[in-house]
Amino acid sequence: MHEHSNGQSRMNSLERIKAAIAFAPVDRTPTVPQLFGHAAVLAGVALEDYLRDGGLLARCQIGALERYGHDVVFAFMDLCVETEAVGSVLQYRENQYPDVATYVLAPGGEVSALAVPDPAVAGRMPELLRAAGILRRELDDKVLVAGCVAGPMTLATQLLGIETALYLAADDPARFEKILDFSAAVAIRYGTAQIEAGVHLPIVFDPSASPAVVPPQFFRELLLPRLQRVFAAFRQAGALANWLNIAGPTETTLPYYPEAGADIANFDYYIEPQRAQQLLPHTCLDGNMKSLLFVEASPDEVAAAASRLVSAFADRGGFLLSSGCEIPPEAKPENIAAMVAACRGG
Amino acid sequence: MVNPETNKLVEVLLAGDHAAALAEARCLRTTGMSPERIVTEGLEAAMQRLDDKCTVESFNLLEIMLVGRAVSAVVNELYPEGVPPEHGRDTFVIATLEGDVHDLGKNIAKMVLIGKGYRVVDLGKDCPVETLVNAAEREHAHAVLVSGLITPVIPQVRKVRPALVERGLGGIKVVAGGAALKQSSAESLNVDYVAETAFDGARYLDSLVRGET
Repeated sequence: MHEHSNGQSRMNSLERIKAAIAFAPVDRTPTVPQLFGHAAVLAGVALEDYLRDGGLLARCQIGALERYGHDVVFAFMDLCVETEAVGSVLQYRENQYPDVATYVLAPGGEVSALAVPDPAVAGRMPELLRAAGILRRELDDKVLVAGCVAGPMTLATQLLGIETALYLAADDPARFEKILDFSAAVAIRYGTAQIEAGVHLPIVFDPSASPAVVPPQFFRELLLPRLQRVFAAFRQAGALANWLNIAGPTETTLPYYPEAGADIANFDYYIEPQRAQQLLPHTCLDGNMKSLLFVEASPDEVAAAASRLVSAFADRGGFLLSSGCEIPPEAKPENIAAMVAACRGG
Repeated sequence: MVNPETNKLVEVLLAGDHAAALAEARCLRTTGMSPERIVTEGLEAAMQRLDDKCTVESFNLLEIMLVGRAVSAVVNELYPEGVPPEHGRDTFVIATLEGDVHDLGKNIAKMVLIGKGYRVVDLGKDCPVETLVNAAEREHAHAVLVSGLITPVIPQVRKVRPALVERGLGGIKVVAGGAALKQSSAESLNVDYVAETAFDGARYLDSLVRGET
């Protein structure tokens, strides 16, 4: 805590987030806008360069932090880093995130032939670790440095292609479970390396685990055990907390997050804040502004939406103001500033 | 209403068992049932039940893809050369527009519409607006359908209607869907309808074809 000239104590960003996770009082609601590629756009840097150069990524994240004054930086490139490191071939496009051109587990490919990549040397992983180290050093433990890994279901779909993955899950569940186990092992090794490199925690992003993609019983039976394994390993490696981020209509799966080992649960705009609080009364929540608001709405509309959310959690606490999904790279900076400003009023 | 002749086909379709669906469709053909009846009383009935289920429970890709795969297997068996225009209920042109390479949502919408007996011309992903308009004209489409997962594709979506109007095709309806587009509104996207899900879009198209929209 730091004394203000008016005598009130003021938390730094990391203290503020730690307090929110513990449902302790905060000086204001922490703001954790999901700013990834937007940091490159803001700095006038080509997205493709940002996604390949850890030093540049770190500089852009710090630039965005200085511009907006939010409470987190992200050592995160895109959800194709892991599949590329395992052997998939990506197609990079100008000012877009890459996508997979050739899946390493093309039909007929055997997961037993794959090796868990070494984050020190595989693909873009070393660059991401470099970004994590720079961010931690530069921000002097005052701002949360979040790393990111693809969750087991998402990596499975990135190794096979989502349609192939879902058909395989139905047609040959035993083989699919082996791929999930491999994916969990990749997440553990990569996330642990991120912790060692300096992140306070690696967020697990698992959009393909959304109930929009697979039914809740699939999540419970196949994904929950792997998420438990991943989060237990992160805790063992010293993660500050465990953060699970699954966008979409997650009402049926949110109740399983504590069992998975998550301390922070992202919720998207499909779920009302009151409902999320009912489903997870003792878990810190982050969400749930519509991503498109940041592209299309006015700053006043964004500020109003942010203020409503802050108010909805005012009594309960345990809340990080965020978007339900990534804030698009082309978002209007004045809208992100409006979101952060609304938090400062709350 | 259960039709005893096609009940088994409907059940195996809903179970997502494509091999059994194919076998049952072949069996029905050997009894003399026409492809049109198999589509109407088997495939469309199955899609209606899936639609009802997705309205009550959550819509998930896995289940829909399994039913869609079974439906596609039967359609390919009945019409190996593709559904002829005279057999399709109506024709729609579908694409993921230039700037977006994510086509899963488009593929799901296509499966649902084929299952409901429509003829769907799929232009793939990263599709220029001009290609979409050309296809709409050539195929005498009743509507064009665009799917988008990421927000940068929105400016392309807004160009579709003016491009149709410029070609004298202003009567063709434009329907949008997908994770990015459904956060917006029809007015903002300059389209006729924004579908929450593939089934929601299909219901709109059903009403369009019936002349209710």
